[in-house]
Amino acid sequence: MNRNPYQPVNGRIVDIIDESPTIKTFVVVPEEQIRFQTGQFVELTLPGEGEAPFTPSSSPADSEKMEITIMKAGRVTALLHRCQKGQQVGIRGPYGNGYPVDTFVGKEVYIVGGGVGLAPIRSLFLTLVDRIKDFKRVVCRYGAKTPADFIYKNALFGSWQNINGVNIKLTVDNADGEWNGNVGVVTTILTPEDVDIKNAAAVVCGPPVMMMFATHRLLEFGFDPQDIYLSMEKNISCGIGKCGHCMLGKYYVCKDGPVFTYDQIKDYPNIWA
Amino acid sequence: METVFISKLKPFLDAVAGQMELYVPKRADRYYVYTKYDSFKTEAEFNNIRACTPAKQFLLPMCELAAAFPGPFEPKDVKPFAVFGLKDCDLHSLEILDKVFLDEEFRDPFYAKRRENMFIISSDCSEPAESCFCNIFDGRPFAQNGFDLNVSKTRDGFIIEAGSDKGTAFLKEHCDIFADVPQALLNERDRNRQTAKNQLEQNNADLRFDAPIKEIMENSYDSDVFDTQAKGCIECQACTRICPTCHCFYLYDTKRSDYFAKMKMWDSCMRQAYAAVAGGANPNKVLGDRLKHRLMHKFVYFIDRYGVNMCVGCGRCVDAEAGKVDLRSVLKKLSEEFKGKARKAKVAK
Repeated sequence: MNRNPYQPVNGRIVDIIDESPTIKTFVVVPEEQIRFQTGQFVELTLPGEGEAPFTPSSSPADSEKMEITIMKAGRVTALLHRCQKGQQVGIRGPYGNGYPVDTFVGKEVYIVGGGVGLAPIRSLFLTLVDRIKDFKRVVCRYGAKTPADFIYKNALFGSWQNINGVNIKLTVDNADGEWNGNVGVVTTILTPEDVDIKNAAAVVCGPPVMMMFATHRLLEFGFDPQDIYLSMEKNISCGIGKCGHCMLGKYYVCKDGPVFTYDQIKDYPNIWA
Repeated sequence: METVFISKLKPFLDAVAGQMELYVPKRADRYYVYTKYDSFKTEAEFNNIRACTPAKQFLLPMCELAAAFPGPFEPKDVKPFAVFGLKDCDLHSLEILDKVFLDEEFRDPFYAKRRENMFIISSDCSEPAESCFCNIFDGRPFAQNGFDLNVSKTRDGFIIEAGSDKGTAFLKEHCDIFADVPQALLNERDRNRQTAKNQLEQNNADLRFDAPIKEIMENSYDSDVFDTQAKGCIECQACTRICPTCHCFYLYDTKRSDYFAKMKMWDSCMRQAYAAVAGGANPNKVLGDRLKHRLMHKFVYFIDRYGVNMCVGCGRCVDAEAGKVDLRSVLKKLSEEFKGKARKAKVAK
């Protein structure tokens, strides 16, 4: 690779979708095609302001544009939330390893998500659904703080529920008057009967505390640590395994991850912080 | 490879400076710092020990432009330049940095351009400092490889040895200023090297580990030593800035009058917010955990990844430390603790 790895490709925000009070999806068109695998991430630059890592939430099959779902969490994301259609951006990547979809073939895929963690999962979900016959079943358990905090509401409550081979259950931490589903954190809707544990791969993505509790629950069910795939959130910056900020034990989350099996990282200190 | 003799340093440095920019060590108080050589103004000095500032300063500037918007921005060409007075520890540090920045998958073009054009003139350490402990990590008070030319000081003058084709070509090109080396001086060089080696070994006689450092560290994840030793840390970050192998950096975006810039700046894993994410999580919020991470990176993670440890034993961190953390004491304490654990395990059997 001879190009300057710090130089982003120019791009433009062509559409912005409000998902929840704190989450928006930005549709970005890069000037050069950027092909990514589901679960890989890109570095999105707001020129002159800052850069942050995001896993695209769209299907890799759409090579013209990429959707990036962003929660307002820090300085750069707050500035992105103020952007209008037409805003110029920079994109570096894709980086990292992505989800090993081919190793899921013939198995049940057990997806556990929380909050904005549904963004990378949506990309994975769309990829799985594209070839749904390759998998025994896709079981999805997803929680949000309140019903208003669900993202991709139309798909989540509509089209995704009707796909053959897909089973979705939702929960909220705090209900409002309209909600008649489960109330409780996402681990309260996980049961050992959800999937055939010996022939399943679990994918967990969400806030660190949720990932910790979900992983422990899956281990209690009898999941092998090698079959639990975690999307680790660390302070990713350079994306190319050099700057050191995202180190998790010997791994650079940006280069060796962001997807790890629990088995790979379980012995390192402070993995959930 | 060619070996020659010259009685004075100046004509040699002048010859180098005639071909390319040359950086030389200059005494400043108790230490040496680098300065650009000017035949008329700069005194030709032989540094008996490593310079205060690490060799990475020539390859990784403290802050540089890494990308521009709208792009593309590619690194500028670098003219050949020479650095005199690097020691064996410095050369080891370059090998370590090469592994990170010349990595095949993502080569750092800024580093690579400078590295390709750097002419390295190393020299023997005639007086290892009290803080030097390179011998613990296979270092020596004289260069072993990785140099273009190496200079050894003797009573009568300087022995210059080529270590690369570039170095040999230089000696041949300037053969008129050099003489043959008398065998007696080569013998003296060997004796000087042995003396410096003995000195180092004597200085660090009590810094001996009972197991490979990686094994000791891997058994220390739960150790309290990091927290107790970190009590002496005042978070000045000098240890990481001055370390010749620490290479963490920070990318940030900023506005210039006619373009947007992405800058690359030195960073330190000892900084509190170093690993914090926007959501608030921070795996190394506690100072002791940051010290642990820094040492685990040097003695476990880097070995796992690249096969060598990330400390060259130059002792710069010991000299620069404004607080009371001494890497040697931390390692010694961990080693003692490891020994205790191993003994207990044996008794339990």
